[in-house]
Amino acid sequence: MAEFSASVYQNEFLPDGGTDVNAIVTVTCTGAGTAGQSGSGDAGEIIIVDTSGSMAAPTMAAAKDAAQAALAEIVDGTWFAVIAGADRAMLAFPQVSSGPGMVRMDTASRQAASDAISRFVGSGGTAISTWLDLAGQLFASVPEITQRHVLLLTDGENRERPGRLDESINRATGYFQADCRGAGTDWQVAEIRRIAQALLGTVDIIPSPAEMKAQFQEIMRKAMSRGVADASLRVWTPQGAEVLFVRQVSPTVEDLTSRRTPVNPLTGDYPTGAWADESRDYHIAIRVPAKAIGQEQLAARVQLALGADVVTQGLVKATWSSNSELTTRIDQQVAHYTGQAELAQMIQEGLAAKASGDEATATTKLGRAVQLAAETGNDEATSKLKKVVDVENEETGTVRLKRAVEKADEMALDTASTKTTRIRKEPT
Amino acid sequence: MTCPSCGSAVAEGARFCEGCGAQLGAAETTPAPGPAPVPAAAAAATDHPLGDAPISAPTRKPAGTLPDPVPTPGRRPCAECGGEVGPDLYCLACGTKAPSERDHFEEQPAPWVAGVCDKALKKNRNEDAMALLASPEAGTRAVLVVLDGVSNSIDSDVASLAGARAAREVLRVPLPAGMGTPESRTAAVSRVFANAAAAANTAIIAVTDPDSPNPASATFTTAVLEGNRITWANIGDSRSYWIPDAGEPVQLTTDDSVAQSQIATGVAREVAENGPQAHAITKWLGRDSEDFVPTVGSLEVSEPGWLLACSDGLWNYASTPEAIAAQVRGAGTSEPLALALALVAFANASGGHDNITAAVARVDLGQNDSANDGTPTGAGVPGGEPSNG
Repeated sequence: MAEFSASVYQNEFLPDGGTDVNAIVTVTCTGAGTAGQSGSGDAGEIIIVDTSGSMAAPTMAAAKDAAQAALAEIVDGTWFAVIAGADRAMLAFPQVSSGPGMVRMDTASRQAASDAISRFVGSGGTAISTWLDLAGQLFASVPEITQRHVLLLTDGENRERPGRLDESINRATGYFQADCRGAGTDWQVAEIRRIAQALLGTVDIIPSPAEMKAQFQEIMRKAMSRGVADASLRVWTPQGAEVLFVRQVSPTVEDLTSRRTPVNPLTGDYPTGAWADESRDYHIAIRVPAKAIGQEQLAARVQLALGADVVTQGLVKATWSSNSELTTRIDQQVAHYTGQAELAQMIQEGLAAKASGDEATATTKLGRAVQLAAETGNDEATSKLKKVVDVENEETGTVRLKRAVEKADEMALDTASTKTTRIRKEPT
Repeated sequence: MTCPSCGSAVAEGARFCEGCGAQLGAAETTPAPGPAPVPAAAAAATDHPLGDAPISAPTRKPAGTLPDPVPTPGRRPCAECGGEVGPDLYCLACGTKAPSERDHFEEQPAPWVAGVCDKALKKNRNEDAMALLASPEAGTRAVLVVLDGVSNSIDSDVASLAGARAAREVLRVPLPAGMGTPESRTAAVSRVFANAAAAANTAIIAVTDPDSPNPASATFTTAVLEGNRITWANIGDSRSYWIPDAGEPVQLTTDDSVAQSQIATGVAREVAENGPQAHAITKWLGRDSEDFVPTVGSLEVSEPGWLLACSDGLWNYASTPEAIAAQVRGAGTSEPLALALALVAFANASGGHDNITAAVARVDLGQNDSANDGTPTGAGVPGGEPSNG
């Protein structure tokens, strides 16, 4: 049985007239078990492989190999299907034209799916909306499935009329989760990130075909370890308060503010998807009406809810004080993640400016990113930034754009921009 | 170990429940019910809290014993907005922190007797304490006990409540009538009050850390109403007042304080009570107390009115009998709990700088009893004359 716990890191002391409360809430899950095995419904896995004409032979060979390796990671009994995606989506396995579009994994179905994958041939264009829509239909054909996960591989830019992909992302949002990978450098990071973020998954670049198999295996292993099918971050705020933002800040930065579903006038749910044994950090910022010095009040109850059940709760408090020693301190966790969120923003905006030819903006933003990565100890971001800019002074954020940059390095910096590092938590 | 009040888990040896704030452990260590075993003088000499405890204690409550007040069930609604308070002790609507049971509690042992003990706006902890008893039949018998823990001593919140409850046990049975003469009655009653103060003192010492450099200490005031007679006892600067609905209000107790000594030498009350030493008390209960024999007095009343026992958190804002009577009458209620809440609200609205306790008993005597002129009579103990301010 999965168990959850929550801890809150904040400076609860506000100066006279202070209104804004910031807190980092760490939610930890243990004993999650295996997907589809907790008794609350079955798990379903769909592997989508790009089979458009742009897939070069070595990439296609690696993709087949990787998809087959991913099949091996799917636990027996799990519902699954394989989609071949081009300018339309084809159900590669199971080969049915009516009834349930997914089957349970066993030795025979794994072998049959593997055979189907080995027959993939690249041809046609890329219409990702049709891939997502087919995945949704397949999940819907098996009502027993309550935990839905997609592994999506593409190598090219989406070629559909504008808006089509977004409509299909909207249809999938809240219904299934998707981890997305881009092979090579001809795909659009922003486009695929939009899918992954909406569908509560990850996005990354697979620069060389040789790395594909290991990545697929890892994604599928992780998906199988998510024994808690779905959970919501439930945030209660007092009457008259305003939620400034709710942001997941670890392991990646994901702004959840606009994804609130009201539970009652004071409470809203934010989606978190499925959980494995893991810890996630959330940054909550609340604006409350100021009270008199010495008054204490609750600014938020931050809970994790499985359906209607609240399984853990952290309390975010506000206490007004005239002691400036207390009120001017910024919580270490809050400061760290505020820096990490800005880091992600600076990298994305800097790369976008660079792509549009605005070198001055790109230099400023990526310089600030270098500075933030150093300050917050994000070594992965630092090393990826150094492949795109020459650092003159890390402390001041003085950089020069490199003249010759590998496209893959730039994309790797972009996809990794939302990954955060943790700081060691001091007991308070 | 679990909290007996709310059932949440608590650490071994914890003094308060993290969940609901209820006092733990210490309450159980208060002396057993029954008349206080320790003669006043002997208790002062002993180091061990139970050093002079009796070998046997009564196992049955004697006749005339008053029942314990029934605790208020459930959690009170939020003081700020009236909303429901959650199990985490914050309001479910406005998030205001609900006071713990120790920070604000109410007692109403009978419909005609009630008290409110409140932390007050500006204080972090409620070191006041209160313990009440009342007969179900209005006007028969009521006991009001108020202790004010001294705020610069350690754990005085735990100690004051233990002391108040211990004194209440001693006063559970009716006061003695003596051998028939007023003198013997006075002597017998004084003895009971000395026992009550001693029991409170013993209970305070029992919950005081033996190594505490600053042992808990408290004031002590109690007022007992039996028919048309009010009897009171006092140590320190908590007070009792008799406030008739129409007649002249009276401060029954005399403070053991620097201010009172100054008043006695002719300094005006307003000057003395606002001086730098105004709140320094000259007698108290606790391990370092040298004299805890209370000052005792009694008064026969003949008209309807209110008996009030309170801490300085209330009378700071209405010291003279006339000022406090104006608040009591101004509240315009005949409900004791409503009156006690109104008095606490008045003190909080006036600044709420100190813990506030207000305990009241409604006296509804017939107007035809004209045998008494309402003049208080000292009980023969020095300082027993009520001060009319």
